[in-house]
Amino acid sequence: MTDDADEPASDRWAPIRTAGRWGVHARTHLTVLAIVVVAELIGEISFPVGPGQVVLLPMLYAVVIGILVTYNVLGRYVDPLRKIVSKDVSRVSSPLLIIALMPLGVKYGTLVAPAFNQLVEAGPAFVLQEFGNLGTILLALPLALALGLKREAIGSAVSIAREPTLGVITDKYGIDSPEGRGVLGTYLTGTVLGTVFFGLLGGFAPATGIHPLALSMACGMGSASMMTACSASLAQTVSSVPEDQILSFAATSNLLTGITGLYMVLLVGLPVITRLYRVLEPVVGRDA
Amino acid sequence: MSDTTQMETGRFALNSLKMLLVVGILTLVANSIGPETGFRAGFVESIPGMGLIVLIGLVALLLGRAIPLDLPAFAYAMIIAFALALPFSPVQGPFLGYVERVDFLATTTPILAYAGLSIGLQTGRMKEVSWKLVVVAVFVFFGTYFGSALIAQAVLSAQGLI
Repeated sequence: MTDDADEPASDRWAPIRTAGRWGVHARTHLTVLAIVVVAELIGEISFPVGPGQVVLLPMLYAVVIGILVTYNVLGRYVDPLRKIVSKDVSRVSSPLLIIALMPLGVKYGTLVAPAFNQLVEAGPAFVLQEFGNLGTILLALPLALALGLKREAIGSAVSIAREPTLGVITDKYGIDSPEGRGVLGTYLTGTVLGTVFFGLLGGFAPATGIHPLALSMACGMGSASMMTACSASLAQTVSSVPEDQILSFAATSNLLTGITGLYMVLLVGLPVITRLYRVLEPVVGRDA
Repeated sequence: MSDTTQMETGRFALNSLKMLLVVGILTLVANSIGPETGFRAGFVESIPGMGLIVLIGLVALLLGRAIPLDLPAFAYAMIIAFALALPFSPVQGPFLGYVERVDFLATTTPILAYAGLSIGLQTGRMKEVSWKLVVVAVFVFFGTYFGSALIAQAVLSAQGLI
């Protein structure tokens, strides 16, 4: 098979090809350069709100500006913008996101190595907190049923729905099923709002009194960008635990979730939620 | 992941290297604008460290393609850097010395800029998601976060670590 077959969906790496595509690459990377410069010049802003702290890091401005300038948001109304930041720019950015994660991965590796002994000590907590994912079921399933959702509730509440969950549910029920619509809802909401949500939560969470190390483990949910936003703002808020330790605990937990996440959904989450659904639906469920 | 229409490995490596160099430059720009904290260094002083990062990134991307474990390339980058930075690694000193000049937060800004631009592809589909599913998703976020945090808290305090 040649790599110039015009099937963008079949190879997620196809957009990174530069041959004959210098224009779109220049527009993409210069847009990112502009966003990075603006975001870094604004710099970190933090202020107390109630019991917690709002921590705004350059990465949060970058994701918000990035979404705003796309063809589908501001570009829809501003013609010159849509010509520069076109749909192809968004297509190129999709695999570039994976490539741009490499420097962060290396940085995390260098943070984890010195903390290795502490991480091994905390091993049991790392493994057991993976079951914390089930907290989504206990909290979100009753709510989903109370809102009048039926089988959608299973897909939407089973897990935080990063790629492995999306795969399991789509595989089992099909993406056009109610369960599929539910999982897609949680997946898309996480994609669009997750970073900002967890970036803000990281600053507020210490106000609950839960220890910063436990909070940093919880930041690892199977999404590198959500974990980074969560742990970076947590680290900026907390002074009792060194920043490097918070970041390394979060990164390790995230790596673990990346490995166990699929099995957690398949072997634990899905059996639990389908049984609980049968019990709860007649009680809490209502006709929408 | 095993796709028959994938570009061949040589071309993938070359294109990835070009993209890694672009990302490297963007990260160094972020690194030189951000606040002077810790070991963060200027643009030129950070180039050797970024060179190492680009090299590890390329290996990680190739491993992600070659190893059928479904692990993201991000995990391989982390594992390679982890191995090089361990106390008994012969290159630990120079490796950490160069890489620490690139600040952690500086690496995050380009990532999220690309993430934001690529989310544009999905914002149209958000209209198909009912507000109820968005509300449920927010509860899912809270549930998974505090579910994990409470278990970790219980286990760490039972072990006497906190």
